[in-house]
Amino acid sequence: MLGNQSSLTLYLLPLMQQLVPGFLPGHYRARLLCRQWQTADMLQLSFKVSGRWPGFVPGQHLLLTLQHQGRYISRTFSICSPLSLWQSQQQIQLCCKINRAGEFTPLLNQLKNGAVVNISTAQGDFYWQQAATAAVFVAAGSGITPVAAMLLSQRHWLTPVSLFYRCRGAENAALLSELQQLAARQPLFTLALSDSRTEPAETLQQRLINNSDARQFYLCGPAAFMQQMRMALIHNGVNAAQIRQEQFGLAITAPADHTAAGMQLSASFIRAGISTKVTLNPQQSLLQNAEQHGLAPRFGCRMGVCFQCVCDKVSGQVRDLRSGALSGHGAEQIQLCVSQPLTELVIKL
Amino acid sequence: MKLTTEQFTALEQELDSVKQQVQAGLGDADARYIRRVLLTQRLSALSGRILLVLGFITPWLWLLGVLLLALAKILDNMEIGHNVLHGQYDWMNDPVLHSKRYEWDIACDAGSWQRTHNFEHHTYTNIIGKDRDFGYGLLRLSNDFRWRLRNLWQGGTYLLLSMLFQWGVSYHELAAQRVFFGKKKLERHSQVSDSELKKAFFSKGARQLIKDYVFFPLIAGPMWLWVLCGNLLANLIRNLWTSTVIFCGHFTKDVYVFSAAQCEGESRGQWYYRQMLGSSNFTGPTWLHILTGHLSCQIEHHLFPDIPARHYPAMAKQVQAIAAKYAIPYNTGSFVHQYSTVFLRIMRYSLPGGDKAVKAL
Repeated sequence: MLGNQSSLTLYLLPLMQQLVPGFLPGHYRARLLCRQWQTADMLQLSFKVSGRWPGFVPGQHLLLTLQHQGRYISRTFSICSPLSLWQSQQQIQLCCKINRAGEFTPLLNQLKNGAVVNISTAQGDFYWQQAATAAVFVAAGSGITPVAAMLLSQRHWLTPVSLFYRCRGAENAALLSELQQLAARQPLFTLALSDSRTEPAETLQQRLINNSDARQFYLCGPAAFMQQMRMALIHNGVNAAQIRQEQFGLAITAPADHTAAGMQLSASFIRAGISTKVTLNPQQSLLQNAEQHGLAPRFGCRMGVCFQCVCDKVSGQVRDLRSGALSGHGAEQIQLCVSQPLTELVIKL
Repeated sequence: MKLTTEQFTALEQELDSVKQQVQAGLGDADARYIRRVLLTQRLSALSGRILLVLGFITPWLWLLGVLLLALAKILDNMEIGHNVLHGQYDWMNDPVLHSKRYEWDIACDAGSWQRTHNFEHHTYTNIIGKDRDFGYGLLRLSNDFRWRLRNLWQGGTYLLLSMLFQWGVSYHELAAQRVFFGKKKLERHSQVSDSELKKAFFSKGARQLIKDYVFFPLIAGPMWLWVLCGNLLANLIRNLWTSTVIFCGHFTKDVYVFSAAQCEGESRGQWYYRQMLGSSNFTGPTWLHILTGHLSCQIEHHLFPDIPARHYPAMAKQVQAIAAKYAIPYNTGSFVHQYSTVFLRIMRYSLPGGDKAVKAL
C-alpha cells in the first residue's frame, strides 16, 4: 500500500534487482550447470535449483522465464530427471526441443554455464498414480520427458510396466540410454521403440491393444497422435478413466461453422482504456491475434498453464483450444493463449 | 491549409512509418532506461522520506528531503506512471511496469485515469464538448464557451486547481459523470457504475491521505510535524509542476480546437492531423524532458501515445519535417514562452468576448 504497488516486494523490486540481478518475485532461481545435446534437436539442461523450491512430482512441468531484449518470456518444460537427483543434489534436468526458428528455445542453447534463470513451482497433474497396478506408457517425440521422469524415479517395482516410445529412429530418441539402462536392470520394465519411419501408427495401435488388459495407460505426445491412440484404446474396451494424458503444444480445432462460411470476425481489445478493433484470424489464439495487431497483453507459457494472460471477456464466445469447451457469451475471465475466437468479442486486456 | 484526401493518406503513411521504425527497435536499451528511472525514483523516495526525519540535525536536510520526495513523486507520475499507464512498456511483460498493474503515487485511481485520459482525452483531443481536458470544465479558454460570472476570477481558480491538481485529476471522471452534482448527460455512456467510481475515488484518495498525512508522520514520532509539512510541500511541488507541464500541452496560444461535427468519420490521417494541431511542445535539456515525462513533446505523445517516451525527442525532428512538408503548423517554443501564452490565455478569457478558437479545417 505504501508504495502504491500491490506488494512491498514489487515496490522494492528495482532495488532488489540491483542486489540480485535477475530477481523475479514469485519465481525461484535455477543455475545452469551444463547443457548437452540428447539428439539433433533435443537439448538437455541441468540446473541447480534454489533451496526454497518446493520440489516436484515426477511428470510435472514448470515455467522457465528468461529475459530477452528487455522482455520477460516464459515457456513450459517437463522435468525429465528422477526425483532422487533433486533430493540428493537439488538438481533437475529439462529436456527441451529446440525450434531453431522459434523465439524462445534457441536462447536456451545460448545460455552459458552458471547463468541464472527463473523457474516456477512444478505444476500439472500428469503423474503416475498407482505404482501397484500394471501400467502402459506411450510417449512420442518430446512427450518422453515427463514419462522418463516418472519411470526413472520409480524405486519399488511391483508390477510389469511397458513403455512404447515412438520416435523417428533411435538417433532421434532423447533419453534413450537412461531408459535402456533401466530396462537392463529392472526385469519388470519393458522398453519398446516404435520407429515412425518404418512402423505405421496402426501397427503401434495393434501392439497397444494387445496390452489392453493393463489397468492404466499414460499417453504423452502431440495432440493428433494421442487422440489416435486414445480412440484405439477406447474402441477396444479400455475405460476412459484408465487413460491419463498430457498434451504437448496446442491443436487448433476446425473453426466454427459461420467462419467457414466466410464471415469476418473482429474483436475490440480494450487496453489501457483505449479500444482497438481488430480483424481476427479464427485459426489462431486470441493472444496471437492481439500480438499481431501490436497489442502486448501479458503472457507466460502460451499453453494455458500459467494464467498470466487471463483477461476479462466482456462479451462474445470463445473455444478452449485444449478441451474444445465453449465459453458463455457474457462477461467472464478467459485465458487468451488457449482461447479461439468464435464470435465477435469485446475483451479488456 | 486544408489537405486533400490523398495528402491525408500520405501523411498517415509517413507518420506510421516513423512509428514502425521505432517500434521495431524496442528492446534492451528501453528496458534498461525505464528500470534506471524506476530505480532513481525508488531511491529518491526512500532517501527523501528518511531525510525528512533527519531535519532535527539541520533543516537543510529536511529541505533536501522535500525536494527528493517531490522528485520521486514527479518521476513516478510523469516519466513512469503516465507512460506505463499508456501501455508504453507492456511489451516488456514486466511484473511492475505494465499498464494493467501499475498504480501510482497520486490521488487519482489508475483505472479512472485510463478511461478519462487515455480514452477520452487522447481520442477526442481538443474537441469542444467532448474533451473535458480543455479547460477541465472550470476554465474558459476560448470564446467557444459562454462567459459566466465565475470566469471573472478564474485566475484564482487556476491557481487553486494547480495547487490541488492531483485531486482535480482524481475528481475528473466523477465530475464528467455528474456523480455528485448536476444533471446526468444522456449521451454519456460509462463502462463503470457511479458506485464503483465513488469507491475508487474514496479508497485511492484515502490511501494517499493516510500514507502522507497519518502513517509517515506517526512513525516519525517527535518529528511528525516536520514530516507532515514535508509531505504536504512535496505534494504541492508535484501538483504545481504537473499542472504547469500539462497546461503547456494543449492551452498555448496557437493551439487549435475543434467542433464535434468537424471530426465525425475522420480517417486515421485526419486524426493524426488533429493531434498535431491540438498539441504543443516545448524545448529544453534532457533532464527537463524527463521531468515532464516527455510531455514536453506533447505532439509526438499524442501521435504515438504507446511508444516509449524516451524516443519522442528524436521522433520530433522527423515529425517536424513532415509537418513542414504538408504546411501543418507545428507549435513549439521555449518553456517560458509557451507557459506565458497559457497564462495570458487564462487571463484573457476571464473577461467576456475574445476570439473563437475553433478554426476551419
